[in-house]
Amino acid sequence: MSIRKLLCSVALSGVMATGALAEGHGWSLAKAAEPYAGTTVDVVFLLRPGYEAIEAMLPAFEEETGIKVNVIKHPYENALGEQVRDFVAGGDLDVVLIDLVWIGNFAENDWALPLADVQAKFPDIVDPDLDIDDFFPLVLDAFGSWNGTTYGLPVDNYSGLMFYNRCMLEEAGFDGPPETWTELKDVYGPALTKDGKYAFALQSKRNETQSADSFARMIWPFGGSFLDADFKSNLNSPESQAGLQFRQDLMQYMPDGIVAYDHAEVVNGFAQGDIAMITEWSAFYSSVVSPETSKVADCVEIAPEPKGPAGRKPALGGFSMAVASQADEAEQAAAYLFIQWATSKANAVEYVERGGVSARQSAYEDPALAETFKYIPALVESWQDGVPEFRPRFAEWPEITEIVQEWGTKMMLGEVTTEEGAQEIGTRMEAVLEDAGYYSGDKPLAQ
Amino acid sequence: MRGQVSRRTVIGFIAPAVFGLAIVGIAPLLYAAWTSLHFFNLIKLKQVKFIGLENYWTVLTDEVFWQAMGRTFFLLCTALPLQLALGLGIALVLHKPGLTILKTLARLSLVLPMATTYAVVGLLGQVMFNQKFGVINQMLGGANINWIGDPTNAFAMIIFWDVWQWTPFVALVLLAGLTMVPGEVEEAARLETKSWWTVLRYVQLPFLLPGLVAVLILRTADTLKLFDMVFTLTRGGPGAATEFISLMIQRVGFRGFDQGLASAQAIILLIITIILAQIYIRVFYKEV
Amino acid sequence: MNTTRSLASQILLLFIIIAVCVFPFYWMVTTSLKTQIVALEAPPVWIFEPTLNNYREALFEDGVLRTLINSLIIAISTTVLAIFLGVPAAFALARFEFRGKKDLWFWFITNRMVSPIVLALPFFLIARNLGILDKHITLILIYLTFNLPIVIWIVTDQFRGIPYDLDEAARLEGASQFTIMRKICLPLAMPGVAVSAIFSFIFSWNELMFGLILTRSEAKTAPAMAVSFMEGYNLPYGKIMATSTLIVIPVLIFALLASKQLVRGLTMGAVK
Repeated sequence: MSIRKLLCSVALSGVMATGALAEGHGWSLAKAAEPYAGTTVDVVFLLRPGYEAIEAMLPAFEEETGIKVNVIKHPYENALGEQVRDFVAGGDLDVVLIDLVWIGNFAENDWALPLADVQAKFPDIVDPDLDIDDFFPLVLDAFGSWNGTTYGLPVDNYSGLMFYNRCMLEEAGFDGPPETWTELKDVYGPALTKDGKYAFALQSKRNETQSADSFARMIWPFGGSFLDADFKSNLNSPESQAGLQFRQDLMQYMPDGIVAYDHAEVVNGFAQGDIAMITEWSAFYSSVVSPETSKVADCVEIAPEPKGPAGRKPALGGFSMAVASQADEAEQAAAYLFIQWATSKANAVEYVERGGVSARQSAYEDPALAETFKYIPALVESWQDGVPEFRPRFAEWPEITEIVQEWGTKMMLGEVTTEEGAQEIGTRMEAVLEDAGYYSGDKPLAQ
Repeated sequence: MRGQVSRRTVIGFIAPAVFGLAIVGIAPLLYAAWTSLHFFNLIKLKQVKFIGLENYWTVLTDEVFWQAMGRTFFLLCTALPLQLALGLGIALVLHKPGLTILKTLARLSLVLPMATTYAVVGLLGQVMFNQKFGVINQMLGGANINWIGDPTNAFAMIIFWDVWQWTPFVALVLLAGLTMVPGEVEEAARLETKSWWTVLRYVQLPFLLPGLVAVLILRTADTLKLFDMVFTLTRGGPGAATEFISLMIQRVGFRGFDQGLASAQAIILLIITIILAQIYIRVFYKEV
Repeated sequence: MNTTRSLASQILLLFIIIAVCVFPFYWMVTTSLKTQIVALEAPPVWIFEPTLNNYREALFEDGVLRTLINSLIIAISTTVLAIFLGVPAAFALARFEFRGKKDLWFWFITNRMVSPIVLALPFFLIARNLGILDKHITLILIYLTFNLPIVIWIVTDQFRGIPYDLDEAARLEGASQFTIMRKICLPLAMPGVAVSAIFSFIFSWNELMFGLILTRSEAKTAPAMAVSFMEGYNLPYGKIMATSTLIVIPVLIFALLASKQLVRGLTMGAVK
């Protein structure tokens, strides 16, 4: 026993030694990429700040490696459809861009390769300094892993944060943001909603925004959830209902027509000084503090999302990138090199400075950075602990989110009550899950 | 006899078109018919299986589908009368003698809405009807109407753009009909009566009828096809207030990825379209 | 008195018609010249310092230029193809007697009414199997579903208006039907062919759904590009309007130049 242990540790140190040796020999990106120079990597990017940051950094990568990265840009709303169609068609994409709710889908279809498989296949291209433990564990787990297997490395990372307009709050006599959702509604709401200004706005448009930013954001802090332990609908539970009812009550302090508001409208309203508080993704930071796009740049402050009876359950969203199984050998290796580079520890600070949000813990260690980017403390706090299944991440999500979007907006419009709406979503959601085989035991209850 | 030609000649003339349209028109339909009988989900291609008419049953009993269908016909029934009334009015104004230059200008500007890319109309709608920075609310005297976010207003907005884009079409078709009325007949009629309504009803209407039928056919077809403008303007929202049939099928097939169900919906839509086209053409239209 | 008043009201009405038709374009162009902050000004401003920045960005940084070229290639090719396939069929439908003629005509015309969503899905899967996704040829072919019916509808009508006597002599001399069509009838039917070509071009240029589903980058069309700026994250209104202007202006100019034919075409199928 002890001999085996000893052997193990010897072997381990051997590995470490070779690792060190490799490092000593100078593992370099340029060298690792040599066999793949001239390869083109096709990747889908979104029209968002994190991707612009990578694009700005790309020339350095291309020059060092000789790998060409062909970026195809899509708005978020089209990105899933575009990728699914590409994979179904056996198209050109070499990198899978995975929103956390798409991971079950991409993994179950074998469109994305497990990270370990790629690394085993191409051992020479693995950066000894990859340091996967440096990623926030919650983020790596939620954005990049499915059923215990890691597929993607987190690249464009979000946590829901509360952006508030300090000037408006001070004027109304508040010296800080609300601690709880109830406080926001009962104290801040009436005080800040007047003269065409609103205390709060919750982006609720009928697309993923409705499911993620509006519906899920309200059920979790009140102790609700989409599914119970048996994968039946939990939306009619008192906790979920409390959250949904709270959303209805909160609407009186939001602009009219909030069901048509997407991120852009909410952020514009905030940036124009018409809305005092919003709960938005970290990635919006750069646009609300830039005087070019914001009238209230000097007043912006960031806090974690308010707490509910069940604690702080901030919205969680974000993207990882994985190697696509449809790519050929050289493309897979080149794709891996690109992903590894884009999410690397070495590039994390530059990425943040260019407007991206890194998932590297080490990137936020420098206190100077947190002074420039005021969202950092709240972000780090939000990522300490959260709900990976904030929205279920299984392959059925694309169908279920459509249902949530439809009935969630109808609820907000008052066309159905929260009970009726939850009932409708529940019935339809369970039908989808039934078809998928969760109830017959064909499929493990993973979300 | 005239027009009697050999079979080979006929085939030689029509084969290219028939073949071309068969490839792009029929082959996809057959494929759609096949997928409609299967559980066929793009993100679950490993589980494709034959399920008979289950998708059709789902569609026929799905109130959401019929609501979208009802909404589509409601749009037709509200927009088309407006287009006909306004179009007729415009045609009559343009048909009056005099003011040649101004009338030419008006006729030219009528061409513009029709030629505008439908998707652009929707984008334009977003900008002009925005509650805050939209020019429409400004022109309504600083009104604070929430166009895009309110179900009724959003529907009204869709009607507005449909009317804006297609009234010119109706007007020009009817104007062409009016100009076919022989001048002397119309003059004689105007000597008889002062009522423009009488002239319209008994002298001009017969010449307008074929145009009206064409308008009816084309507007019905185009409303069933309506997608681009609504997609860029409201995406079917808020809620489902402007989710017309083509948008709904697109959502099921390309956002929910259930292509089997979407195919069944599409085929039911096709059957409805063909029945309507048959009725229109058989009832109203002079055939070949 | 009465006549002056009616003249005045006629002038007023004509001005209203013109204003309602033209104003949205005015607004589109002016918005395209605004920076994002000016575009979001509430209430909207009418006088501001214009910038061409949106155009520069759209055309050269975001690749709208290439999508415009794609749209042009596709619209022209599909129009030419539709004419080549459609004219002989129209000739046959107008002049020959054969069994199933009515049904054939009906089938052609019905295609005009089919919602593209019915075809988009299966055509996507077929194109995938043939490996022609995101290629010009894919859209050129699928656009035939609405262009061919237009050509056949309008040109059949046109051929039908040509008297048989005209080619009696040629037929007696033993000219083939093809020669008759090409040498005698086609020149007379040219206006109809031109009209249907104009329609095909405009419809193809404006098409969105197929462009959205069947192309990705190589063959992306301009309307699909305009829609792809609609990121819920940040709506660059100025740039969207600039792209819209770039898409719409060519087709509007074309439509105005061809407005006579266009109006005739509208009425050709309609008023007989």
